[in-house]
Amino acid sequence: MNNDDRVLIANLKREDKRDLAFNQLVTKYQERLYWHIRKIVISHDDADDILQNTFIKIWKSIGGFREESSLYTWLYRIATNESLTFINSNKKKHFVQMNETSELLMNNLISDPYFEGDKIQLKLQEAILQLPEKQRLVFNMKYFDDLKYNEMSSILETSVGALKASYHHATKKIEEYLKNSE
Amino acid sequence: MGNMSEIRKKRPQLSEIKKENPFGTPDNYFDDFSARLHARLEAEKKVVPTKQSRIIRFIKPAIGLAASFALVALLVYWPVKMYLSTEIADNNIQPYSYEEEFSSMVVESIDENSFFTLLGEQEDGIEFSEEDLMSYVSSNISEYEFYTETYK
Repeated sequence: MNNDDRVLIANLKREDKRDLAFNQLVTKYQERLYWHIRKIVISHDDADDILQNTFIKIWKSIGGFREESSLYTWLYRIATNESLTFINSNKKKHFVQMNETSELLMNNLISDPYFEGDKIQLKLQEAILQLPEKQRLVFNMKYFDDLKYNEMSSILETSVGALKASYHHATKKIEEYLKNSE
Repeated sequence: MGNMSEIRKKRPQLSEIKKENPFGTPDNYFDDFSARLHARLEAEKKVVPTKQSRIIRFIKPAIGLAASFALVALLVYWPVKMYLSTEIADNNIQPYSYEEEFSSMVVESIDENSFFTLLGEQEDGIEFSEEDLMSYVSSNISEYEFYTETYK
């Protein structure tokens, strides 16, 4: 953990410095966390809600942060869990089967007013949405966020070997989808 | 899947695509986010109690007070009642009226001659009412004499 984060954590745990430290935390990590969430849920409005929920959870549980992992890993983990909880609750709300989640997210992608990519980038996003949930997470974190396998292992609580295998399968499926959709 | 050349070889279609984030956000989204989050945190702190909990919060102290009074009454009333009923039974205390005591005191304070004179006058047909006697006593006996006679 870098020194800045150590100081930030220490200040977050102090009553007199907590508010200021929290503002600094939000400013420092809001964008990275937002994009991680956005790639999972696709919709900007949903990502906004989840990002707020994530920071509220962080605010409430910072006292229990044991510093066994880096601050960013811990934040990332909370954001991931909040995103997956959101998707699961959506499934229940709309009586969606496990394999129909991608249809819901596909609708979000097609109707997204803030999508700025070209056709091929849209195709890639469609290919990613075909992947099982864990593979989708691993692919996004490795391909777009360029996280190291040991960081991902800490966030997703999965072994490095399993993550490497997941990434390998994910890229293979995406390649097939892109070839077949030409 | 290691370096870029390996990716290009094994995943040619994927390697052709720009590795850019294709998603966008509303203007100034990140500039405003902190303020909106702060507002939401403040709102969560000021959670308004539900109607049911408000009623319960109002009634609780009243119930507590009522229960306290009931307990005190129970602890004081029964022993006192038990004690008093025992006391009256033991002493056979008879209540008396003020008028009866006053009349008997009047008779005792009048000397014999006056008393018999009064009786004699009565025999002559003159009758003295209680009011007459009271009037006589109040004009002939001072309050001090009345007090001392009463509390001998």
